[in-house]
Amino acid sequence: MFIVQFLNALQFSMTLFLLAVGLTIIFGLMKIVNLAHGSLYMIGAYIGLSVWSYSDSFWLALVFSPVLTALIGALLYYILFKHIQNTDPMRQVLLTFGLIYISLDSVRLLWGTMSHSISAPEILSNSILIINEPYPMYRLFVIFIGIMVLISLFIILEKTKIGAKIRASVDDPETAQLLKINTNKILFYTFALGCGLAGLAGITVAPILGVEPGMDMEVLVLTLIVVVVGGPGSLKGALVGALLIGFVDNFGKVYIPEMAQIIIYAVMALTLLFKPDGLYNR
Amino acid sequence: MKAVNYNIKLRTQLMVSLSIIAIVSNIFGGYFTRFFIAEVAILSIFAMSLDFIASRGGMVSLGHAMFLGIGAYATAILTLNYGINPFIATLYTILIGIIIGLIIGYFIVLLDGIFFIMVTLALGEMFHAWVFTSEFLGGSDGISGITRPDISFLNIDINNPLIFSFYVLIWLIIIFLFLTKFTDSPLGRSLDAIRQNSSRVSSIGGYAKIYKTIAFSISAAIACIAGSLYVQLNGFISPELTHWTVSGEGLIMIIVGGIGSVSGAILGATVVHIVQHELSNIINWWMLVIGFGFILIVLFMRDGLWGLLENLQRQINIREKK
Amino acid sequence: MSLYIKNIKKSFGAITVLDDVNIESNKMECIGIIGPNGAGKSTLFKIISGNLKQDTGNITFNDMLINKLDNEKRARLGIAQSFQKNSLFPEMTVKESLMISCSQRYKISFNFFTSLVKNKVINKEAIAVATDIGLKKYLNIKSDELSYGLQRQLELGIAIACNPELLLLDEPTAGMSPAETKEIIKLIKRLSNKYSIIIVEHDMEVIYNLADRIYVLDRGVIIFEGNPIEVKNSKLVQNTYLGIQ
Repeated sequence: MFIVQFLNALQFSMTLFLLAVGLTIIFGLMKIVNLAHGSLYMIGAYIGLSVWSYSDSFWLALVFSPVLTALIGALLYYILFKHIQNTDPMRQVLLTFGLIYISLDSVRLLWGTMSHSISAPEILSNSILIINEPYPMYRLFVIFIGIMVLISLFIILEKTKIGAKIRASVDDPETAQLLKINTNKILFYTFALGCGLAGLAGITVAPILGVEPGMDMEVLVLTLIVVVVGGPGSLKGALVGALLIGFVDNFGKVYIPEMAQIIIYAVMALTLLFKPDGLYNR
Repeated sequence: MKAVNYNIKLRTQLMVSLSIIAIVSNIFGGYFTRFFIAEVAILSIFAMSLDFIASRGGMVSLGHAMFLGIGAYATAILTLNYGINPFIATLYTILIGIIIGLIIGYFIVLLDGIFFIMVTLALGEMFHAWVFTSEFLGGSDGISGITRPDISFLNIDINNPLIFSFYVLIWLIIIFLFLTKFTDSPLGRSLDAIRQNSSRVSSIGGYAKIYKTIAFSISAAIACIAGSLYVQLNGFISPELTHWTVSGEGLIMIIVGGIGSVSGAILGATVVHIVQHELSNIINWWMLVIGFGFILIVLFMRDGLWGLLENLQRQINIREKK
Repeated sequence: MSLYIKNIKKSFGAITVLDDVNIESNKMECIGIIGPNGAGKSTLFKIISGNLKQDTGNITFNDMLINKLDNEKRARLGIAQSFQKNSLFPEMTVKESLMISCSQRYKISFNFFTSLVKNKVINKEAIAVATDIGLKKYLNIKSDELSYGLQRQLELGIAIACNPELLLLDEPTAGMSPAETKEIIKLIKRLSNKYSIIIVEHDMEVIYNLADRIYVLDRGVIIFEGNPIEVKNSKLVQNTYLGIQ
């Protein structure tokens, strides 16, 4: 039983990680929190839904979702964020809030208000035995995707030139700007990447949780908590925070359901008290 | 973030104009109009509570609907379970709001603006989730059967929408006067300074955390009043009141009105509520329109409607001088 | 006023930025801290003002150990600071900014029902400070509409308005033209009759003009201490600054 819970928590953490890492990098680079991040997660799921409905292929949906969501992110960047970069960060955040409203109604207009579901692909729709407990293969797949993203990000950031530029820009934005590293190009690619990851989270979770208009905010709140606790701008923080919140949330709901909400509050409150910049500040 | 200038004359003129319109509409309008006015007045109180901490302390809260909920549910429980007079219950919610505001504020007021938004959003959502599932609070059905304060000793029937609207308007005006006094006071000005440059206020010995916590708790109390009046207006409370879209609507109202002028918040609340009401009657996708409108205002109309009025006032002054 | 800064050590990771720094003063005087780039001046300044905590060492102000106090509490004790980069209240006028600063040390700052603007005592104080710093003509001008030089003056004014005993000035002439620098020097000279001052500066002429005593910092260590003439004539100091003068 425990192993099932553990893997569930891990899967949930991986989803939170996909979301948190995009949000935290965007914050680290652009100093804004994209409140519409949850909307991108939702849009990713819906795009996946359409692709899957028309093509009957989950794998196609899995590819198209993040790519199209990243494109939407790129578009948003060009239309909105690029031009208002130098204004008050608060105003930019307020803008993203307006985007939440637009996304919600757009989704409702295009896909209706009912919830939908996507079936996991054939290969992954069975359970396999883990220490004598059957466990859905699809959830293992989600964990796998999360780990793949983690490794890819690590490689990109540590081993490539553009990764070095991103790290420099997050660690010391002023110097990076002086050195002309912190260019629009970096911001653009990172923003699009973050959005794409949100879309990826949406499509990978869709077979488990379904696709419905309210899914943007449910996940946004936990993602925000992960970023606040982990430390905004820190990738390590996004991972540790996602694991912490994911496990606390899952195990909390199983073993002490009435207290589960409060525990997350408490984790956040304790972090704010003792480490207001998060567990891993920049 | 920027707030509008201290323009006491315009603030008073605007408030007086709005009040006159409200009173006249109340007297000559029908049932629906009166109900609507009470609703707008309650939302205005909520908007003022948000405007207060945004302009005095630079704290933009996306979770304030939780205080609406606290005020409403507390009133419901106090009146139904303990038989307390609804008016007294509203007074109790002020106290409850202050206490809870102090507790929460202690943890969050020093957060940088953007984190403050994130954390308040999270807190609001968690409160909403708790209220939705709490059996004691009626779960998704909420609580019904709340009555209004009995003032039959004055030979007036509070259940007459005309009378209740006036009752709410009186609360609105009292809170408005309180907040304007606060805004112009030393504490209010220090809070304004904190919004503009929080670290400088600390370095001159200003009690930044204490000031901000006081402001947050007063804002919470005012939002609780709005919640308390809301539940008395409708006779019931459901978790919907604590949904993030309510907090969001409040934020839209103060941006549209123009942050910092107190009466701008009331104007914003009125305009946004009317627009939303009318739009939602015509189209299903009104959130899309409001979202767009909001973005346009954030981009191009920093001082909101207040800014337009100020410009107008300036034009009139220039013309008069000629 | 007495200030004893003893055995201050501060490291960031493996780098020791300050090592056994000692500064003391027990009368009203103007102390200058100079040194080449990277000497640790900013770090030392932040430790004195309370924005940074030292690793080891003690700071005693008026016989009180202030190690644990942050800059807010130190300001209330009488240590005010002005910043290298202007830290003003952009939407407030000169008078309003000064009034905010003046009001913090009175209980009235907690008052939320009278009007600040109408308060006679605070008004008078603010106008007095404005006169002191030469901004009396600009009382009703918004901070962000002032010229850079006047903004620097307001920067000083906000610090003075809290009626401190000790003024910490971080590169007060930063970014100024020679003419503006002259004005500021005159201003600070006037102020040094009323307040103890510790001034961190790059511009040697400014320090020579203003300081009674100078501490020279190099790579985290005080290498020389003396009056301006001694410092000017010191070969050690000249060698340290070789190429930078």
